[in-house]
Amino acid sequence: MSDSTSTVSTAASASTFLPEVPEWRRMMNRFLGHRGLLMGSIILGLIVVLAILAPWLAPHDPYLQNISQRMIPPVWHEKGSWEHVFGTDKLGRDYLSRLLYGARISLTIGLSAALISGLIGTTLGVLAGYFGGRVDAVISYIITTRLAMPVVLVALAMSALVGGSLQMVIILLGLLLWDRFAVVARSTTQQLRDAEFIASAKVLGASTTYILVRELLPNILSALIVVMTLEMAHAILLEATLSFLGLGVQPPMPSWGLMISEGKAYMFFKTWVIAIPGIALMVLVLAINLVGDGLRDMNAPEGRN
Amino acid sequence: MKRILDVKNLQVSLPTPNGNLRAVRGIDLHVNKGEMLCIVGESGCGKSMTSMALMGLLPKRAEVTAETMYFDGMDLLSLSKKERNQVRGMRMSMIFQEPMTSLNPSYTLGNQLCEGIIKHKKVSKDEAKKRAVYLLERAGVPYPEKRLDQYPHQLSGGLRQRVMIAMALMCEPDLIIADEPTTALDVTIQAQILRLIRELQQEFGTAVIFITHDLGVVARIADRVAVMYAGQVVETASAQDLFADPQHPYTKGLLNCIPIPGKTLPGSHLESIPGVVPSLIGELKGCAFENRCSASIGECCYRSPSLENHLGSEAHQVRCPVATTSFQEAV
Amino acid sequence: MLVFIFRRLLVAFSVAITVSIVSFMLLHLSGDLAISIAGPESTAEQVEQIRIDFGLDKPMVYQYFDWLWSAVQLDFGRSYYFQDTVMSLISDRLPVTLTLGGLALALATVIAIPLGVIAAIKQDTWIDRLALTIAVIGQAMPSFWFGLTLIVIFAVNLHWLPAGGNETWQHFVLPAIALGYYAMPAMMRLTRTGMLEVLNSDYIRTARSKGLNESSVIFKHALRNAVIPVVALAAVELGFMLGGSVVIESVFSLKGLGQLAWDAITRNDYPVVQAVVLIIAVFYILLTFLADVINAMLDPRLRVR
Repeated sequence: MSDSTSTVSTAASASTFLPEVPEWRRMMNRFLGHRGLLMGSIILGLIVVLAILAPWLAPHDPYLQNISQRMIPPVWHEKGSWEHVFGTDKLGRDYLSRLLYGARISLTIGLSAALISGLIGTTLGVLAGYFGGRVDAVISYIITTRLAMPVVLVALAMSALVGGSLQMVIILLGLLLWDRFAVVARSTTQQLRDAEFIASAKVLGASTTYILVRELLPNILSALIVVMTLEMAHAILLEATLSFLGLGVQPPMPSWGLMISEGKAYMFFKTWVIAIPGIALMVLVLAINLVGDGLRDMNAPEGRN
Repeated sequence: MKRILDVKNLQVSLPTPNGNLRAVRGIDLHVNKGEMLCIVGESGCGKSMTSMALMGLLPKRAEVTAETMYFDGMDLLSLSKKERNQVRGMRMSMIFQEPMTSLNPSYTLGNQLCEGIIKHKKVSKDEAKKRAVYLLERAGVPYPEKRLDQYPHQLSGGLRQRVMIAMALMCEPDLIIADEPTTALDVTIQAQILRLIRELQQEFGTAVIFITHDLGVVARIADRVAVMYAGQVVETASAQDLFADPQHPYTKGLLNCIPIPGKTLPGSHLESIPGVVPSLIGELKGCAFENRCSASIGECCYRSPSLENHLGSEAHQVRCPVATTSFQEAV
Repeated sequence: MLVFIFRRLLVAFSVAITVSIVSFMLLHLSGDLAISIAGPESTAEQVEQIRIDFGLDKPMVYQYFDWLWSAVQLDFGRSYYFQDTVMSLISDRLPVTLTLGGLALALATVIAIPLGVIAAIKQDTWIDRLALTIAVIGQAMPSFWFGLTLIVIFAVNLHWLPAGGNETWQHFVLPAIALGYYAMPAMMRLTRTGMLEVLNSDYIRTARSKGLNESSVIFKHALRNAVIPVVALAAVELGFMLGGSVVIESVFSLKGLGQLAWDAITRNDYPVVQAVVLIIAVFYILLTFLADVINAMLDPRLRVR
C-alpha cells in the first residue's frame, strides 16, 4: 500500500475552472472591493492634492498676522464669516491656510522619516535575515536595544539639545523609528533565504549584493510598504507630539501639533482652536492606517479579514 | 439489520465570492449498527463536507438540508442546539485527519480525554480517568497513566492519533466518523492505526464511517463502500461486490489505478483517469463524470442519472444509465 | 526553565547597559552640554567653569563609567536644577507614573480582550465593525489631543472630573482613559486575530466534536491560546506607556516621571534626563522579560526549552 499508486487521481479546486482574469484586474477588483483601502486612498489622495496645491488654494498667507482679526470663529459659528472659513488664531492668522500648509509639514515629515528609517531598518533586517548566525545575533541585539529606548523621551531630549527644526525632526524620527522595518525585513528575508530563485541566482554566480538588491528586495517590498505606511502615521503623530511639547517644529511654522499647542490656552472657551487641527491630524493618520491595513489584506493570500 | 444512521438527499452548499459552492448534492446514506462503511472519493468530492454535516460541525454560513437525517430514530435536523451537543460527543464522535493539530496544545491529554465524558455522563473525575487509562491502553499507548499528565507536544503523531481514537471511544458512542485518520501518518504507522480502528470497532461493536481517498484502505477494512464523485454517491455496494463487480465507470477507473498483487505484472502500466473534476459551483448539466467517461452516451450530456438498483438489489446501487442499460440488454 | 530565565536575565541586563551607553552618547554628542547648561548669555569663562564643576572636561568614557558606577548603586547624582538628588526626585515621582500606567493598562485590557473576543465570534457583523472602528480611531488619534478633548468635555463642560493634578484618584481617571485608549487598539486587534485563528484551528473542531457547550469551547479551549500573545503585547505596551507618559502627564499636569523628564529636558538638567531614560528602559526590559516568563507558563510548548 503505497501512496502514489492507490491514491485517487488528480485533485482540483473549484477555482481552476474560473475564467482567467488578468493579474492587474484581480488586484483592481480586490482594491475596489476593500472598503477601508478605497476610503483611505481617497482621503489620503485628497490630502496630498490639497497639500501640493496649498499655495494656490490657501485664501490667505499662513504667516500673515493681523492683530485686529484675532480669534475669529469658523464659519459655522454665529460670528464666523466666509472670509476665514476655519477662523483665525491668536495672532489673527487664517486657520484654513495654516491647516493647508500644515498638511505639507505632516506629509513631508511622515514620508521622509519613514524613508530614512526604512533604509536603516531594511538594511539591518535583510542582513540579519540573509546571513543569520552571528550577524543575526548582533543585529537582533541592536533591535532589542532600540526597542528598550523610550522613543518620545529620547527624541525630546535630543531635539532639546540640537534645537527643533523641520530637518532635525525628520532626522531624529528617521533614526528612531526603524525597528519595525528591521523586524519585518528580517523575518521575510529568513523565509525567502532558502527559496529556489535565490539558490539558482547563487548557482549562476551572482554577487551577494546583486542577490540581495535585485532578487530578494523586490520580493519583500510589499511587506515593507505596509510597514512604511504604519511608520509614516507613527512619524506624523510623533512630530505632532514633539511640536505640541514645544520641542519639534518651531513657530511660526504651521505644524498641526504646534497649532494645538498654541490653541491650548484658549481651548476652554474656543474649542474649535484645538478641534480643527486635531481632527485634521486624526483624519490624515486614519487614512494612512486604512491604506496600510488594506495593503496588508491585499498581500495576504485570499485576503483573510 | 438496524440502521443507526439514515440520511436521505443530504445537500450542503457554501456561499463563495464566485457563487454558491454546492459541495454535497443529494446524498443517500445509511449505516447499520456495528458496521464499517467506507466513503471513498478524491479530494474535493464532498466526502469531508458530508462527515462535517453529519456531525453538525459546519460553519454557520454553510447551508445543510436533507429530506431525512435520522440517527437511531432521532431526527438530527430538528434537535435543539443543546440536544445536538448531547448527541455529538456522547453518541457520535469523530477522529480527524491531522493528529498534530487536533489536540489543544494548552491542556493535558487527561483533561482533554475526560472533559467530554464528565460533561455528558456526569461521571466523577476519577472514573473518567480510569476509563481514559483503559482506553489508552486498548489504543496501544504505552504508559497510559503517565500520559494523562502530558501535553500533546510531548507525543509523536502516531501516538497522538491513538489518543484521538481513545478520545472518540470515551463515551461509548454508537457511531464514529473517521475522516482520513491515517492520511497524515507514516506508511508503517498507517497500517497499525488501521488495524487498531478495525479491531476496536469490532470489539466495541461501534459503527464507523471511514472516509478515505485510498482504495487500498477500503479493501482492508470496509464492510460496505460508497463511492463519491462531485458531491454525489455514484456507486454503493458491499466491499466484496464492489471489488468483484464494479459497475460505475468511475469506480472501474479507480480500481484500474491500483495494482492488484498477483494480477498486475511488475513494470506494467497503471491506468489513470484523464481529465479533472468539474467545478461544484452552481448547477451541473447531465452526468458529472461525463467529461472524463469513456463509456458516455448521448443522454449523459443533459440527463442527470439517478441512483438505481443493480441486479434488482438494494445492496448494490449505481448512478449510471450505461451500466444499468447494458445489464438490461444482457438480460 | 531556570536556565531559560537565567539566559533571558543575562540578555536583559546587557541590553540595559547598552541602552545606558547609547543614551549617554546621544546626549553627549548632540551638543555641548556645558554651553546648554550655562545658557546663551554666559561668557566663555562661565562655560569653562561649568565644564569643570560638572566633570564635563574629563574623557567621555571616564564620565560614563563614573556615572554607571554610581548608577548601579542607585546614585544618579544631583539635579542641576532641582535642589535635590536625582534618586529622591525619581522615587517621589515614580509611584504616580506607575499608578497611571497600571490603571491605563488595566483599562485597556478590560476593554480590549472582551471586545476582541466578541468581534472575533461575531466576525463581519456590526459589533465587529464597531470594534474595528473604535480601534482604528484610537490608533489615529494623537493622545495629547484626546487628553485635551477629555478635559474640555469632562472637566470644563460637565465638571465631573478634575482637569489636572494628582491629589485624588479622580485625578487619574481622565489621564488613564487617554493613555489606555492609546494602548487598547493594538491589544484588541491582536485578541481578535488570535481568536479568529484559534477558532478555525483543528483543536477547536475537536472540542466541538466532543459536544462541549459553546461557552466552554470559547472560554476554555480558544481564549487561553488566543490570549498568550496578548499578554506579551500588554507588557510591551506598559513599557511604551511609561515612555509615553511624558505627553499625558504634561497635558494633565500629573507630577510623575514623565513631567519630571520634561521639566528636566527643558531646563537642560541632564542627570535627571539620563536617569529617567535608563529607568524607563529598565522597566521596559523587565516587562518584556516578565512577558516571556508568563508566556512560558501559559504555553506548555515553551516550557521545555
